[in-house]
Amino acid sequence: MSLLVRNFSKLNPLGSIRSYSEVVNVFGRRSVDTQAADEKKTIATIPENTESVKEVSGHPEVHLTGRLAKIYVPPKNSMQSGTFGTRRWRIDFDNRDRWENPLMGWGSSGDPLSSLQPEFGSKEDAIVYCQRMGFRYVVEEEREIKRRIKSYGANYSWNKRTRVSTK
Amino acid sequence: MNKLIINSSKKLLSSSLNKNILKSQTALLSNVVPDNRIEVFVDDKPVLVQPGVTVLQACAEAGVEIPRFCYHERLAIAGNCRMCLVEIERTPKPVASCAMPVMKGMKIKTDSPVTRKAREGVMEFMLVNHPLDCPVCDQGGECDLQDQAMAFGSDRSRFTDNLFSGKRATEDKNLGPLVKTSMNRCIHCTRCVRFASEVAGVDDLGTTGRGNDMQIGTYVEKLLASEVSGNVIDLCPVGALTSKPYAFTARPWELRKISSIDVLDALGSNIVVQHRAGDVMRILPRLNEDINEEWLDDKARFSYDGLRRQRLVTPMVRGHDGLLKPCEWDDAFYAIADKLSRASGSQIAALAGGLADAESLVALKDLMNRLGSENVFVEESFPGQASGTDLRSNYVANSGITNLEQADLVLLVGTNPRYEAPLYNTRIRKSLVHNELKVALIGSQVNLSYEYDYLGDSAQILEDLLNGKHEYSKFLAKAKKPLIVLGSAALQRKDGDALLNLATRLSEKLRTQNGCPNDWRVFNVLHRWASQVAALDIGYRSGIEQIKAQKPKILYLLGADEDLVSRVDGDDTFIIYQGHHGDRGAEIADVVLPGAAYTEKSATYVNTEGRAQQASFVVAPPGKAKEDWQILRALSDVLGNPLPYDDLDALRKRMGEVSPTLTSYDKIESASFLPLSVSLSQKVKPALSKEPIRAWQTELGDFYMTNPISRASLTMARCVQSFKKTNEPVKQTQANANP
Repeated sequence: MSLLVRNFSKLNPLGSIRSYSEVVNVFGRRSVDTQAADEKKTIATIPENTESVKEVSGHPEVHLTGRLAKIYVPPKNSMQSGTFGTRRWRIDFDNRDRWENPLMGWGSSGDPLSSLQPEFGSKEDAIVYCQRMGFRYVVEEEREIKRRIKSYGANYSWNKRTRVSTK
Repeated sequence: MNKLIINSSKKLLSSSLNKNILKSQTALLSNVVPDNRIEVFVDDKPVLVQPGVTVLQACAEAGVEIPRFCYHERLAIAGNCRMCLVEIERTPKPVASCAMPVMKGMKIKTDSPVTRKAREGVMEFMLVNHPLDCPVCDQGGECDLQDQAMAFGSDRSRFTDNLFSGKRATEDKNLGPLVKTSMNRCIHCTRCVRFASEVAGVDDLGTTGRGNDMQIGTYVEKLLASEVSGNVIDLCPVGALTSKPYAFTARPWELRKISSIDVLDALGSNIVVQHRAGDVMRILPRLNEDINEEWLDDKARFSYDGLRRQRLVTPMVRGHDGLLKPCEWDDAFYAIADKLSRASGSQIAALAGGLADAESLVALKDLMNRLGSENVFVEESFPGQASGTDLRSNYVANSGITNLEQADLVLLVGTNPRYEAPLYNTRIRKSLVHNELKVALIGSQVNLSYEYDYLGDSAQILEDLLNGKHEYSKFLAKAKKPLIVLGSAALQRKDGDALLNLATRLSEKLRTQNGCPNDWRVFNVLHRWASQVAALDIGYRSGIEQIKAQKPKILYLLGADEDLVSRVDGDDTFIIYQGHHGDRGAEIADVVLPGAAYTEKSATYVNTEGRAQQASFVVAPPGKAKEDWQILRALSDVLGNPLPYDDLDALRKRMGEVSPTLTSYDKIESASFLPLSVSLSQKVKPALSKEPIRAWQTELGDFYMTNPISRASLTMARCVQSFKKTNEPVKQTQANANP
């Protein structure tokens, strides 16, 4: 996990112009694909410095300043071989206490952000989201699988330790 | 209907997997000479791949994920599930893509009618004998067979014969207290067999019979005696092997998954802690190629039930009757403040244990320093005669874990990595199998799950190797990339100084004389405790002896549970224990302050290679317990000497001031002062002890219960019990043989 210092100027210099296709869908609706539109043509331009929605987002102040958003790629479930769940970047907020509801036995939480897990097509989109919403954030870089070259013949090679004894 | 499913699955494959797989495949492409690569076509899309790559890997490179059951990236190719069949132009039949090497100009069709029909057919055969018990199966919701049957299977069964003859029935096997079996569900992918023999190095699992009568098992009933046996649960693509402690407790979709790290050994394996309504339900590994790949050892995976038992839930103060009485935080703090006000700085000492996080270690040291005491010690001792803990290269695994795969010779000194750091051992084994690594061992002659050269258990051997007198020196001299791994258990000996001295000198000699690459580091220390490297970074020293000699008036134990100090050492010592379990430390304490375990706090740990990582807050500490650094901060307030940090950010900033390595997360800062350390160490000539070097843990039974959490775990206790039971007859016959 690398702590990424909030650096507006590096990402998009304050006051710069970004295309509409880049800022669409950053409001964090779930399962909204925020990858750039197929057509690269600029639809509209919005100046960066009027983008902040912190004031109108309706988030209580305590959840804007006191929380830390983690931008990460969900790890592959080690129980399965599929990788579909790891295709997007996701935002999680620092976890808070949960308890079993004494009435029904369901899981309860006092944290309005605990179920907010917006997903993004790229890390940059997620960063823009956090900046617009005014969340402090940390970026955890993606983990990549190292693959080795494998051959079926290695099971039978007579002079290597890869020879399989157990069947 | 059928067509619909196939169509939607096609879309699913092509749209979403492309990006993801392309990203993860760069590793295969990057270190390739362009001339060498050959061109193949996956669904008419040209891809360049290295020769010798399988069709399945080539498809992955093109962004197409082929369905599979038996194929696993980290295991040998078996080619027996047939789910990965694809059509290749100008071949008469569909080809098993996992075992077929690519050829130049191959035209692979991953979504042609032939391929689809082949998959559907294979799936139909799988389901002939697979029970329809998904509603009561623990794999339900995260089952490869379920998912792939939905995506690639037919919508109805043609096996009306099942109505008369029934499905195949297989007896369940008893593999011990961790792995639950339901062998009717087995689809014979043999992933578990391959894992046991290749990665775990335990040839216990195998197949008997053939065709429809084939069975996976141990042939005679026995314990799956491996320290990494839990991984077969992950590997099983169906519900044949599931977790026994987790059985019927939760469904995967109700669990919340929090990425964290494991602290029960010094590797810092990456984990996902899954919880529901304030309870940790299970722990699974998380991919990190640099540390644990995607494995996890059994202690880390199964001792989570220890987090709920034997917990300290309220502060306690020892009353006049000698019994610990529950009280409020204020009462405990005032009791401490009262004692501290009557002690001078030099009469106060602190001792940190093996599970302490860097945050609380820094807070404790700052507090001690403010009280005028420099006596901050760590339980696990580390030699300090020459440069000792002053130079970081003396006490971390300098080469890192991944470099085990580059090495050509590993010399293990006084360690049994199989139980001290099981995933370090599987890395050595991996390199041994695939890269013809040579391993030598000085210490107890233990079963490392692979063959190695045993040099003996005398400390003198190390000196002989250094002087070139030992017959094994010639192998060391030939190694281009040697590694020396010194176990920290060996450093607990009286002659720890000498061993460290000799090992560093030998490492430096090999590095300079063998023509190693410039950035190659030879010397490694393999620690046993997650807190040790951070503690040494912060400036803790080893000082059990000093505590025993000094008899401080006040002793502050921060999770120190290894029974190294006792009441006998100082009768009138006032002992404060801060920690999460009612273990050995709390037993002797006068004041008990309940802290948080590693799943209950956002905390930093530095692993044996010097990599700082963060554990996450998953569930709240029980009862009145608090996060450890907060306790120390609150105590400092009561003492009228408040520590200058009010939140975690400020504390982490302070940690960065103490040692920048503590907050540069997930990076290894290479420590290159070994030559300096060696030149300093040549001045001292500590004497070697005649005592043989012994391993801390020699058999599997020793592995399970090593710290307060795993000692409180019922599952771990069951493991020890079943290990003892398995080995009982052997011991009895030995006893009978020599009465």
